Amino acid sequence: MKKIIAADHIEKVYGHGGERRKVLNGVSVSINEGEFVSVMGPSGSGKSTLLFAVSGMDTVDSGKVFFDGRELSALQENELADLRRRRMGFVFQQPTLLKNMNLLDNIILPAMRDHRKNVKKITERARALMKKTGIEGLEKRDITQVSGGQLQRAGICRALLGSPQILFGDEPTGALNQEAAEGIMSLLAEINEAGTAVMLVTHDARIAAKTERILFMCDGQIVSEMQLPRFRGTELEARMERVVLRMRELGI
Amino acid sequence: MFYRIIRGDMRAGKLITLTTLLFVTAAAMLVSLSAILTVNLTGAIETLMMQAKTPHFLQMHSGELDRVRLKAFAEQNSKVEAYQVLEFVNVENARIVIGGKSLADNVQDNGFSTQSGKFDYLLGLDGKVITPADGELYVPIAYMKDGTAKAGDKAVIAGKELNVAGFLRDSQMNSLLASSKRFLVSEHDYTAIQSSGSTEYLIEFRLKDLSMLGDFKNDYTAAGLEAGGPTITYPLFKMLNAMSDGLMIAIILLVSLLVVAIAFMCIRFTLLATIERDTREIGVMKAIGLRVSDIKKLYLAKYAGIAALGCVLGYALSLVFRGMLLDNIRLYMGGNEKASLTLLLGLGGVVLVFLAVTGYVNGVLGRFRRISAAEAVRFGTVQDKSGGAKQLRLSANRLLNTNVFLGVKDVLARKSLYATMLAVIIIAAFVITVPRNLYNTISAKSFITYMGVGNSDLRLDIQQTDNVAAKAAEVAAFMEKDPSISRYAVLATESFTALREDGTEERLKIELGDHSIFPVKYAEGRAPAADHEIALSVMNAEELGKQPGDVIMLKTGAQTLELTVCGTYSDVTNGGKTAKAAFASQSADVMWSVIYAELEDKALVGSKAGEYADRFSFAKVSGVDEYVTKTFGSTISSVGTASRIAIVMMLLISVLVTVLFIRLLVAKDRYLIAVMKSLGFTDADLRVQYFARVAAVLVIGIVLGTALANTLGEGLSGALIRSFGAASFKFVVDPLAAYLLSPLLLAGTVLIATIIGTAGTGKITISGYIKE
Repeated sequence: MKKIIAADHIEKVYGHGGERRKVLNGVSVSINEGEFVSVMGPSGSGKSTLLFAVSGMDTVDSGKVFFDGRELSALQENELADLRRRRMGFVFQQPTLLKNMNLLDNIILPAMRDHRKNVKKITERARALMKKTGIEGLEKRDITQVSGGQLQRAGICRALLGSPQILFGDEPTGALNQEAAEGIMSLLAEINEAGTAVMLVTHDARIAAKTERILFMCDGQIVSEMQLPRFRGTELEARMERVVLRMRELGI
Repeated sequence: MFYRIIRGDMRAGKLITLTTLLFVTAAAMLVSLSAILTVNLTGAIETLMMQAKTPHFLQMHSGELDRVRLKAFAEQNSKVEAYQVLEFVNVENARIVIGGKSLADNVQDNGFSTQSGKFDYLLGLDGKVITPADGELYVPIAYMKDGTAKAGDKAVIAGKELNVAGFLRDSQMNSLLASSKRFLVSEHDYTAIQSSGSTEYLIEFRLKDLSMLGDFKNDYTAAGLEAGGPTITYPLFKMLNAMSDGLMIAIILLVSLLVVAIAFMCIRFTLLATIERDTREIGVMKAIGLRVSDIKKLYLAKYAGIAALGCVLGYALSLVFRGMLLDNIRLYMGGNEKASLTLLLGLGGVVLVFLAVTGYVNGVLGRFRRISAAEAVRFGTVQDKSGGAKQLRLSANRLLNTNVFLGVKDVLARKSLYATMLAVIIIAAFVITVPRNLYNTISAKSFITYMGVGNSDLRLDIQQTDNVAAKAAEVAAFMEKDPSISRYAVLATESFTALREDGTEERLKIELGDHSIFPVKYAEGRAPAADHEIALSVMNAEELGKQPGDVIMLKTGAQTLELTVCGTYSDVTNGGKTAKAAFASQSADVMWSVIYAELEDKALVGSKAGEYADRFSFAKVSGVDEYVTKTFGSTISSVGTASRIAIVMMLLISVLVTVLFIRLLVAKDRYLIAVMKSLGFTDADLRVQYFARVAAVLVIGIVLGTALANTLGEGLSGALIRSFGAASFKFVVDPLAAYLLSPLLLAGTVLIATIIGTAGTGKITISGYIKE
């Protein structure tokens, strides 16, 4: 299996002087094409920092990160932006949609940066994604006129419009109720099924239990990993128990 | 939490908080200074005119004087309190030598007189009436200021040696705007100089009650007394004295208004940004039951603090600087005792600035009412209610680059935020264009025709001499034979008495001759051609209440002429009150004569002027260009300077405001920028978006500003020019400068400022603003 992300002994330090804190302490990790990975750990363990570091949205203080074989720290700011726009997708806890724009415009925004001439095609694809994610008919709604779950779905549509190789999610269900969260998770599973790798940060065992590989983090290091068979909608309770048990063993 | 909000706000916008403080300080200083200066100036003028006992009514006169008739008039007129005739001997400037240098280049008419007996005293710098001893010369204060004379200098006046004993304040002619200056000598020395110049009389009256001045003026005219020169009244003296310092005060006030406006803009920027940033907190505060007025107080406190500090600093600075600006007033008019009052009024001005700032902040904070608690808490933002931006859909955009589209849409979505910047651009475009157009207009050659001067090459003035008509005829005869002169016109000014409808009389100076050769600009109607036609200057037409087509009755000798008004024209010469007619006068009583000539070869103006000046020593010969330079040169150059200063000032202000504004926007949009970056937009993309925002504002602002300049600006300049006597004012616009270069200059400057302002976007990291 081809590695899409490979991080080698990366370190990230916040603060300075006596208050220096190593948030990432020599983390090495790789993610394969089409893999469904989640990162778990207590608050402050470095989960989000890892996600931002391997996606090139944040720099690292030492170590190297490769995306599809290219070293990110060697890339110019513009090349990084191009990578983000064309090959990665992001979903955050708070839907980062722009105000004063309707849902459809928000979804097509990054794609319009490069392919303005193909606006018709882009719009068609956006509508198809909206249908798939269950927010069909909300195209002209303002972001204040829809629910949190619908906003998050729109955010996913935006992330998927460019057909990324990998989708990063920083607690994408964190701000949603259980029903909405379940909906988003099955959507992500579907996306993954279609071939896009997914890397999620979560502290919810129920969410993590639906992924294939779980990285457990503590104090800036990956302290354990768990490989699970692909989730087919069954044995969720048993998978969750395994995750929780491992967390207890690790003391997190 | 409350304290945190305010402190956080200050820290986030250190630069803009400092700028606001700076502008409030400057505004307070300038307002306080103008208050202090105004009180000092009016006080000083009052004191000077009281000590000097300035005449209420002054008739200047050269020629024969019937003292007996004047005395009888003064005694019989119940309004007169005191009356006197002063003599004043005009000496040619070249024959006045002070400290080894002659006054030949001086533009003033310089004359000598003795100390007055009853009123209109010439005062020393101590405010006392000067009594010069023999051999002593007292020099007008203006010549001390410009370094022409200093105490102890030797002076030679038409061969008579005198010693500069000191300087004098002249309540009539102190101002540089008065075209004559009086030197003071003893009776004995006066007699010695008298024969070396031409004597002019100052017929002066003090009235029992100044409010009777208008009636008295009519009495004087009706009595047909001496009137061979201008008439000046008390209010005009006052105005002349107030003019130059008054102008300075007016400019300081104008600048302070501008500064207050900029301070308001800074405040508005910060406040709007703060409100947008704190929307969630404000919503929370509302949600937990705080009143709008309670929340307002938190923000108001910060600005009240800034305003108070700025005002205290500004007041202190105004006390430091006042000495410098008061020097001129003190020198020309003496001190003013009401020092405590001036300090109090300065303080009053500062308090006004404070109230204006806090009032303005309070007004902007009124927006809090519009923040819905629910919306604010849920979305951390309040939707702009304006619909304009909603119409613009990215999905429907085929025309604009996506970044440009986003920029334009942002401007439309946050109109109120950009309105401030738009206002700055409009004002900048307006202030850059108006003085430029005004300068262009008055420096155009055609402009002199607005001024009552025909568009010719040479101008000969024959005045202050006897037998003007014969001398003019002599010049005309010579010109007739001169092959280098293509055309000429002789215009003679005579004094007539016009009869008003109510039977009162009005003195009217009419320029007679052929007005079709070198026509001036007519506001209405045309030049007089037939004998029964008369054209009036706009000021005269207003005063007489006449319009073209009206009839005016004129007394000439024994008979009465009935003339029809055929046109009105602009004039700035002779106080703007003139008239033109074509009839031939029987009397030989010409007050002065002007001869205009046009040359075959324009290059010869200089040499021809020299030739005529040598041949006709009684005439003042000048090329019209030279005449214009001498008369309006200082005005043209000061308008030119003003226009250059305006351009530089406005560009600087635009840069300042743009940099502040963009930095503020960037600070405010940090989250948005981080989101954009996470979506794969580059720094260059973001810069294009900010450029598009600024460009959208620029285009609207420059178009509106330029349009306003050509309508409102033309009207305002017209009003200003009209007050000098020129009507029907139209801008002569240099389209290249006004519609291309100036806008480009402004746009270029603002766009450069945008680059400086957006320098911060590169530093914004995604993880810093999005990470949960």
